[in-house]
Amino acid sequence: MKQENKKPVWTSPWGYAEGWLIVLGLLATGLALQITTGGLNRAALSWPVNLYIGSSFTAIIAAGWLITRNYRKSPVQWLASIPAAITSIVMVTFLVLIMGFTLQDDAQNPVWVQTLGLSNMTASWPFLFGMTYFLIALGMATMKRLIPFKGRNIGFFLNHFGLYIIILGGMLGSADLQRYTMELYEGEIVWTATDHHGHGIEMPLALELVSFNMEEYNPKVVVIDPHTGRIIPESIPQMFEIEAGNRGTILGYDVEIEQFYMLSGKMEDRYEPVNHFGAAPAALVRAIANDGTEIEGWISTGSFMMPHSLLDLNHVYEYSLAMTIPQASHYSSDVILYTQAGVVKEVRIEVNHPVSAEGWKLYQYSYDDRFGRWSPTSVIEAIRDPWLPVVYTGIFMVLAGSVYLMTLGKAPETVNGEMP
Amino acid sequence: MPFDPTLFTIASIACWVAGMALFIFQKKHLLVKVLSHGLFLAGVIILSVLAALLWQELGRAPMRTLGETRLWYALFLPLIGYATYTRWKYDWIIYYSGVMAIVFLGVNLAYPDNYDRALMPALQSVWFVPHVIVYIFAYAILAVSALAALKGLWINYYRKGRDWSPQLADNLVYIGLGFLTLGLLFGALWGKEAWGHYWTWDPKETWAFLTWIGYLAYIHFRHHKPRQVVPAMWVLAFAFIILLICWFGVNYLPSAANSVHTYSN
Ligand code: HEM
Repeated sequence: MKQENKKPVWTSPWGYAEGWLIVLGLLATGLALQITTGGLNRAALSWPVNLYIGSSFTAIIAAGWLITRNYRKSPVQWLASIPAAITSIVMVTFLVLIMGFTLQDDAQNPVWVQTLGLSNMTASWPFLFGMTYFLIALGMATMKRLIPFKGRNIGFFLNHFGLYIIILGGMLGSADLQRYTMELYEGEIVWTATDHHGHGIEMPLALELVSFNMEEYNPKVVVIDPHTGRIIPESIPQMFEIEAGNRGTILGYDVEIEQFYMLSGKMEDRYEPVNHFGAAPAALVRAIANDGTEIEGWISTGSFMMPHSLLDLNHVYEYSLAMTIPQASHYSSDVILYTQAGVVKEVRIEVNHPVSAEGWKLYQYSYDDRFGRWSPTSVIEAIRDPWLPVVYTGIFMVLAGSVYLMTLGKAPETVNGEMP
Repeated sequence: MPFDPTLFTIASIACWVAGMALFIFQKKHLLVKVLSHGLFLAGVIILSVLAALLWQELGRAPMRTLGETRLWYALFLPLIGYATYTRWKYDWIIYYSGVMAIVFLGVNLAYPDNYDRALMPALQSVWFVPHVIVYIFAYAILAVSALAALKGLWINYYRKGRDWSPQLADNLVYIGLGFLTLGLLFGALWGKEAWGHYWTWDPKETWAFLTWIGYLAYIHFRHHKPRQVVPAMWVLAFAFIILLICWFGVNYLPSAANSVHTYSN
């Protein structure tokens, strides 16, 4: 460090000082552009512009390295050095750190934050500059170890070039990423999707909802204050899963579940298992208080068709046994898929199990939660990301590279045969 | 009623306390040595049995709540500590990893989890277990590296002489960063299947990226200036603070209002 400080800045060979000045210059320029022109527009990079930019960027890096190869001390070669790597890493870290503390949503931030581009960081000029500097350093480092090629540099290549591909592919590909939603109604064939601004788009495939399915975990039994609906005691909720035969103690009451129906309907003063629109879970419970008094009755979460039922525990409506609303365990939609080529097939689209068709991936996205499992509609998200294979290539390279990274540790040298 | 992990937890703690106590005198007698190592490992085995039983009882991987992740920490830390000890013979790592594991279990005893079977649909994926295991493993190793950094700083400021902790730190960071990278990328592959995109700069992802790039800065600086130990160890300590924010803090940050990754209890 001391030696470097003596060397006047901007004389070769460059070191950290030049790197920090580049970072400051990029931040200042980026900020000025951000304030005067506003943020970036991703769509400007759409196919094939992104292809041209990506390939010329990579070609320039490769050519820059090769041309200056014999001038080891030139600033171009410096870009392949650790000072360039570290200053660019710190610049990106700084910007991402700001992003880590600022809610990324323009509407929820003061105007000055929006003007500086901080609430939409990934579409801001400083971020673009930081990432570009980072990618140049990364690309140049790759070239440095690639030519001449040596077998022992394979791990290095996997990590550095893999990361280069991920970031470049991800940034350029985001311009071609299409995310639309398709709102389906039972028995209706839908060919159109909607983007986030509500514009309709014609799709190369159509979906017809056969049924939306929702499975639920069993609900739990709790004691609530019937006036506020709050669980008692609030600090450490006492509850247990409802299933016929389950028994537990809540707030000093010995509570036993005698009967339980996941889907039931109310018949006068009791519940019977049914399986029609609006059915809800219900349980017959018995609670025994400390003094031996016994209370028995039905509890139910109710649904949009039926009121809920509580079991009053002490006749003054202070404490009531209640059933929690069951949590979902699975969401899926059975749909008929039509393509323009005339293919028709039935598929199930489930959370974590998207379906691929015609270059699109179809995801279970949403449903009408007012109706819960009886929702007559289902919303499917259709996503097309043509750059995905590029990014995945990089991801698999870095996955392999990280295994290499784990092998780099060295055993310490021993002193007189003794471990330190 | 879900079964009670208290007995297992106390048994593990007892094994580690006894194992560490005997470890102090392990050089005196072979029997003491065998007993101390045996007890230390028995604590790990008891906790593995607990994890397996919980897994079976809940019908899902016990990795959802903070309490459940603490369990895995308490399992991995002594394991990593013991492995590091056998490989490089640093005694202090046994005490450190044992005490940390006891602290994690102690927190679990003080705040028993409300064990709950429910696993939201987005978490039901083949990626869930590898993603979480690899991450916890990385965090546990990097926690040890942070301690090596503190030891390195202490030696550099207060005592002169040969110091091996930077090299231990390097070795641990190579392994820890390797696992961190696996976790990050498994997360990306999972995100594509579950939420439709591999990277959305969600707050948890943003902080995971910061953690990752912090360790990246460390290994590059070490590669370039292996003799400048003090700044390198500061970078390592700072990287661990980012890791802690990523692990616990994200829920409390204003930027996390819309996160899909906050832990539920
Ligand atoms: C996946 C992420 C990365 C990993 C795992 C990684 C790993 C490494 C390792 C282990 C070395 C030491 C050399 C060796 O042992 O072969 C190294 C060197 C280097 N890295 Fe990285 N690195 C990563 C990302 C980056 C980035 C983002 C940059 C630039 C912005 C960069 C630039 C460099 C440079 C310039 C060298 C020195 C090469 C030389 O002088 O020969 N690396 N990297």
